[in-house]
Amino acid sequence: MHNSKAHLWFIAPAIILMIIILIFPLFLAGGISFTDYNLGNKTFEWIGLENYDKMFNRKTYVKMIWATATYVIVVVPISVILGLCAAMLLNSLRFGADIYKTIFFLPVMATLLAMAIAWEFTLHPTLGIVNNFLANGCGGAREFIFGFHWLPWVDSEQSWYAVACANNMDFPYWLKQKNTAIWTVCFIGIWQAFGFNMVLYLAGLTGIPRELYQAAEMDGAKSTWEQFKLVTWPMLGPTTLFVVTITTIRTFQVFDTIEILTKGGPSKTTYVMMYAIFEKAIQQNLTSIGAAITVVFIGFILILTFFQRYIIEKRVHY
Amino acid sequence: MEAKQYIGEGWKHAILIIGAIVVLLPFYMMVSMSLKSQQEIQSISGGLIGAQETQTFPVCVKTGYSEEECTMKPYKYNYWFAFEKAPIPRYLMNGVIVTLSIFIIQVLVALPCAYALAKLRFYGREFVFSMVLFCLLIPVHGIALPLYVMLAQAGLVDTYSALILPWTISVFGIFLMRQFFMTVPDELIDAARMDGMGEYAIVWKVMLPTAIPALLAFAIFSVVAHWNDYFWPRMVITGNRDLFTPPLGIREFRGGIDSDEFGPMMASIVTVTVPLIVAFIIAQKRFIEGITLTGMK
Repeated sequence: MHNSKAHLWFIAPAIILMIIILIFPLFLAGGISFTDYNLGNKTFEWIGLENYDKMFNRKTYVKMIWATATYVIVVVPISVILGLCAAMLLNSLRFGADIYKTIFFLPVMATLLAMAIAWEFTLHPTLGIVNNFLANGCGGAREFIFGFHWLPWVDSEQSWYAVACANNMDFPYWLKQKNTAIWTVCFIGIWQAFGFNMVLYLAGLTGIPRELYQAAEMDGAKSTWEQFKLVTWPMLGPTTLFVVTITTIRTFQVFDTIEILTKGGPSKTTYVMMYAIFEKAIQQNLTSIGAAITVVFIGFILILTFFQRYIIEKRVHY
Repeated sequence: MEAKQYIGEGWKHAILIIGAIVVLLPFYMMVSMSLKSQQEIQSISGGLIGAQETQTFPVCVKTGYSEEECTMKPYKYNYWFAFEKAPIPRYLMNGVIVTLSIFIIQVLVALPCAYALAKLRFYGREFVFSMVLFCLLIPVHGIALPLYVMLAQAGLVDTYSALILPWTISVFGIFLMRQFFMTVPDELIDAARMDGMGEYAIVWKVMLPTAIPALLAFAIFSVVAHWNDYFWPRMVITGNRDLFTPPLGIREFRGGIDSDEFGPMMASIVTVTVPLIVAFIIAQKRFIEGITLTGMK
């Protein structure tokens, strides 16, 4: 051991910053959540679990939990599956894979806020190309495809597309309607996230030895699907676990699209947790309830991560 | 190759092209709107770039410019007027200041710590490392509210410090660099010590140069994340336009969505979004590597 004091200078700044910026705020949030403190107040009182009680009983916060859960449960699986499908398709291409990879990765890179506004216009009822595209397709092939007329149980007179066409091109106002807003926001979330997952899966796929596929073929797994089940999917286990966890954590933190596009509305259908923290604590200066939401939020994230580590240690070893 | 395989390949491309169209849709909309005139935007005509007829723009005249100054082609007008209306260079400059400061401080803090954790033996090293591992679990956005309360108590809301301070510690950076330094042979460090180098000199003159590739990936990871970050600046910058980062600028442009002209608005948004996208297309491999860094274990 040389210069025995050097390490102190090396680790001290990092330790001090970790304590002030990352660890202390956890306790601060916990502490504030048991009080009625609002930023700017001189005094406060301990009110026990009142904030948490509100959170699980008031309609607004119940809706918040619903909106967050819906968003996570829709976006995570779809963006993971799309990422996997895209990676496998690209991996099997003879040419052109790189250009698709670049395109699919663009949304991950681009400033999400800007893209949210671009989507807002793309989906705008009068200015947007999506509704324009739909309106021009009334009575044609587009109506057949997007109205799901090809499904045997859909009545082609009564499909959503046919009804909209009949009512003077009354197509949805995607982001402003109660029954479509959350799904539209989910769609933008998936659009943004799947390229990231695709890249991780592409890296995972290159790690699978070719011999395994040959061995599987000798064992009689001839079709692509059988080979996928026998080789690809199990070999991608660790990648999948990682992709799911990281996507879930990111998805939980959705804020940009909500703040700029829906402000939690209409009637709180898109009122996700990060937006709730921002609206309550910053805009309405209800610091203590914001702190309670923060604690629940961090709790979710910690449970998820511990769960992931647990599975890693238990199962995904080959 | 058999005919069947050709058909298979064709199907794959068909699916991927449809996917690519959906992915590119908002980019197309954004660029197209930034080039067209208001009438063309409202009537959804003119394709990608519109007719580009020279015309006089009424909003511009109303703002106080002479009619002559306001007569030009739409694409030129949109970008010119965007820069007239908002201090876009200032926003971009703020973005550069904030992201670079964050990155530099992160490296100054993380590199020595990572070196100590990887190569020095001292009492409590395992404890410090487990602290790093624990802190990896805490999402900074999640604890934004208590951080905000602390900054507000310190009177730092609406300052550059508020934008930079919470990000000065990157536990992920420490972890990453430590893993990297573990692979550096001890002989290299011993040789440096024999040459009479102090531990400080070793960190910056021996370890730093070996870590350049990892550092570059980390730089991209950090810069992209903070350039695009909207949540944190939105929390701590309340009204001071001089401190707006690019995403806050974007929000401001969007302000008059019903009354304003859309062309200049989209032109501002394109201007702010483009630098990163161009950098990405030029150095794709490095970017993908950097952004998926979190995918490393």
